[in-house]
Amino acid sequence: MPVDTDVVALNPVAGGEPAGGPRPLLVARGVSRHFEGMHAVHDVSIDVLPGHITGLIGPNGAGKSTFLAVLAGTLPVSAGTITFDGNDITGLPAFQRARQGLVRTFQLPSEFGQLTVLENLLAAAPTNRGDSLFGALLGKRYWGADEDRLVAQARALLERFRMSPKESDYASSLSGGQKRLLEIMRALMLQPRLLLLDEPMSGVHPSIVGEIAAYCEALRDEGLTILIVEHELHMIERLGNPVIVMAQGVVIGQGTMTALRQQREIVDAYLVG
Amino acid sequence: MSLIVAALGFGLVSMSIIAIAAVGFTMQFGITNMINLAYGQVMIASAYAAYALNSRGVSIWLSLLAGAVFGAVFSFILNRLVYAPFQRKGTNLIGMVIISLAVSLVIANVLLPIVGYYSVSYHLNPGPTIHAGSIALTGVQLAIIGVAVVTMLVIHALLRFTRLGKAMRATAANPTLARNCGIPTSRVIDLAWLITGALCGIAGVVAGMNSDSFSVASGSEFLIPIIAASVLGGAGHPYGAMIGAVIIGEMTEISAAIISPEYKQVAAFVALVLVMVLRPQGLLAKRGALAAAG
Amino acid sequence: MTYYLTTLLVYAAVDVLACLAISLQFGYSGIVNFSFIIFQAAGAYTAAVLSLPKDTANGGFQTYVLGLHLPFPVPWIGAIIVGALLAPPIGLVVLRRLRSDYQAIAMLVISVIASLMITNTPAFLDGAAGLSLVPQPLSDIFNPYSQSYLWVYAIGGIVVAAIIFVVVQRIINSPYGRSLRAMRENELAAGALGKNAVALKMTVFVVGGAIAALSGAILVGFITTWAPSTWLYPETLILFAAVIVGGRGNNYGAVLGALLVPVGFEEATRYLPPFGPPGLIPAIEWVCIGGLILGFLWFRPRGVIPERRRIFAPAKPAAVLEESGAGRH
Repeated sequence: MPVDTDVVALNPVAGGEPAGGPRPLLVARGVSRHFEGMHAVHDVSIDVLPGHITGLIGPNGAGKSTFLAVLAGTLPVSAGTITFDGNDITGLPAFQRARQGLVRTFQLPSEFGQLTVLENLLAAAPTNRGDSLFGALLGKRYWGADEDRLVAQARALLERFRMSPKESDYASSLSGGQKRLLEIMRALMLQPRLLLLDEPMSGVHPSIVGEIAAYCEALRDEGLTILIVEHELHMIERLGNPVIVMAQGVVIGQGTMTALRQQREIVDAYLVG
Repeated sequence: MSLIVAALGFGLVSMSIIAIAAVGFTMQFGITNMINLAYGQVMIASAYAAYALNSRGVSIWLSLLAGAVFGAVFSFILNRLVYAPFQRKGTNLIGMVIISLAVSLVIANVLLPIVGYYSVSYHLNPGPTIHAGSIALTGVQLAIIGVAVVTMLVIHALLRFTRLGKAMRATAANPTLARNCGIPTSRVIDLAWLITGALCGIAGVVAGMNSDSFSVASGSEFLIPIIAASVLGGAGHPYGAMIGAVIIGEMTEISAAIISPEYKQVAAFVALVLVMVLRPQGLLAKRGALAAAG
Repeated sequence: MTYYLTTLLVYAAVDVLACLAISLQFGYSGIVNFSFIIFQAAGAYTAAVLSLPKDTANGGFQTYVLGLHLPFPVPWIGAIIVGALLAPPIGLVVLRRLRSDYQAIAMLVISVIASLMITNTPAFLDGAAGLSLVPQPLSDIFNPYSQSYLWVYAIGGIVVAAIIFVVVQRIINSPYGRSLRAMRENELAAGALGKNAVALKMTVFVVGGAIAALSGAILVGFITTWAPSTWLYPETLILFAAVIVGGRGNNYGAVLGALLVPVGFEEATRYLPPFGPPGLIPAIEWVCIGGLILGFLWFRPRGVIPERRRIFAPAKPAAVLEESGAGRH
């Protein structure tokens, strides 16, 4: 099981190095994002360690989703650097970060509505010979084998997430929770190394919340690194280690939930127990 | 040089016509989120309605009024019968563009058999030509400028000082919120189309008054400068449209004087594309109200 | 009779090609290219100035550039290349993240500007008068007025359309086509999954532009004239109407739409006896097309043949067991 309380060793203000331990998978240094004079994110530095589920919490308007968007490449940085597995990805567009293994999901449902569930997964697969103009023109004989392999892979995922019966349904017909699971499965088709989940529990029926949490834990145990931006505090309590707290665009604390609850400023900022 | 100054003078008339039209157009966009590409055709239809009276001896000014009423009613019906139902149905933005283009086609081709292919002109007395330096404008042209000024003041008063005006601004800013605050948004929208339709009608008639002649084909010619002025000033902002009209009005006349008359149209078209592509929120608007939304 | 039938077939082939290109761009990839007609016109003009002799010929009644008098199939190849080359600069407008109706209008205006510029620059492509007496393919070997030539041309046109149909089918039924549809559905999500939306859109734009240009070359080779009046912006609207009526997001719909709207409509009214003032019948045609657009968008926005749901064959048991490493829960 991953290490617990020691992870508070990182001090984001001082930008220090981890106190002996695995090299961080994702490093953000001095990242700022502002537009029209407003600082949505200001001088944020974090390390995301491999094999952990890192939580990112904070009150509304804290800049968490903006920061996630900047990490994923959906939004450009105004200042600072982002390093992924040792490579500087600050200037890379989102699609290239995804190809390198840094994949995000979205807070609002982002399924490919007029595609079936299975097609949603197939669309995400990165290594299909038929996924280029040239390959397409060469016809099914050229890419048929890749396609069959990916169909099997996708079906296995559907099986795991217990959505096999929905295979041929239009993605737009799914419930909120199912769409959320679909997005996670879709991201998994890329075999990511770091998964950025943007409020995965929002708009989801409470009974599914536990299910999603269980999947996250299972994926982490298999070696996937996850960063979750979330509002649902007790889910983060269960999953998040470490947990980073943001408010008004800056990081105001980091550590386990228990440790954080002790810190007055954090409790005040959050106004939630 | 005097050519340019003269062009500036003509620009005053152009900008007046465009201003009346653009304010109506931009308000239709602001309040109903609809780029009404049939606007030019409604202008022409109103111009013909006025002509129907004017050619039978009615004074041009009464005909202008008739044109305004025609434009108001026509636009109101257009929204009620076509645009609003499609929007309620959830038609996407491209669908609405195609719909307004289709409507524009239908209006033009229903008009054609009725009014014929040949261009017509109003019976009016151009009045004395006033000279100010190199600027030379007829009485009618000055009257058109006057009509524009009055119309702008009326709209200004409407938006600033009346309850309807405030309701319109609220609906334009956030229709759901407006509805939740108790504003009868569908009534506001109806009235908005009546008022902007009247502007459309007035603009059509004065455009006809300013031209030697007009025909059904003139409809699409009017549309582009109007869209350009609206977008320049920030689509949905009436005051922006007025400023946009000033710029486009002068620009088209001056480029016609400097380059050549055929390029009068091209100048407006190029301006429109450049603004839409490079600065879709307009020269004046602060927020990216219209970028990358749909 | 021959002339009528072959003309019909050629127009059908040309319209099918155009609708296939629009279907690929609009139906599949969600690109609203309202400047479409420029590409067809570019193809026609290119084929024309490549096959015409120097403009001093025929008494020099028209002025245009080039005039290289090249033999078939070079003018057609040139047309395709020009269509493809024209795509990136115009595509740069399409690819900006703009509100979709803004984008559509900007594209429409671009096509109007192009038309105006050509009309006002007579030295380039003979302005408003346009080009005529365009030599037809292989007309120095075969007699272009003979019935067999007309039939061969018409059948040839249909064959080209069929070939392009197969090409576009391959594109859209492939994983690449799936990526296009995913991008159409949600560009942001597609990007987050590794799709390069800019590259995808530009590629589709180029391919569509090339097909459109080819259609123009085929048409000008048959009717031997081309002028700005042939390619006004309502033409783009008719083609979009065809794709909407026939059905977006699938090639059969595009073909059906091409046959129903541009071809069917023009031909249906041909048999009506002329009545009313001159110009009444074309006016009625346009009103009907407008009404058709409105009617279909209201009652059947998906078109006659909607995009079909793709169902995959159930897995054979052996395959599933082999791939089962991914998950056990």
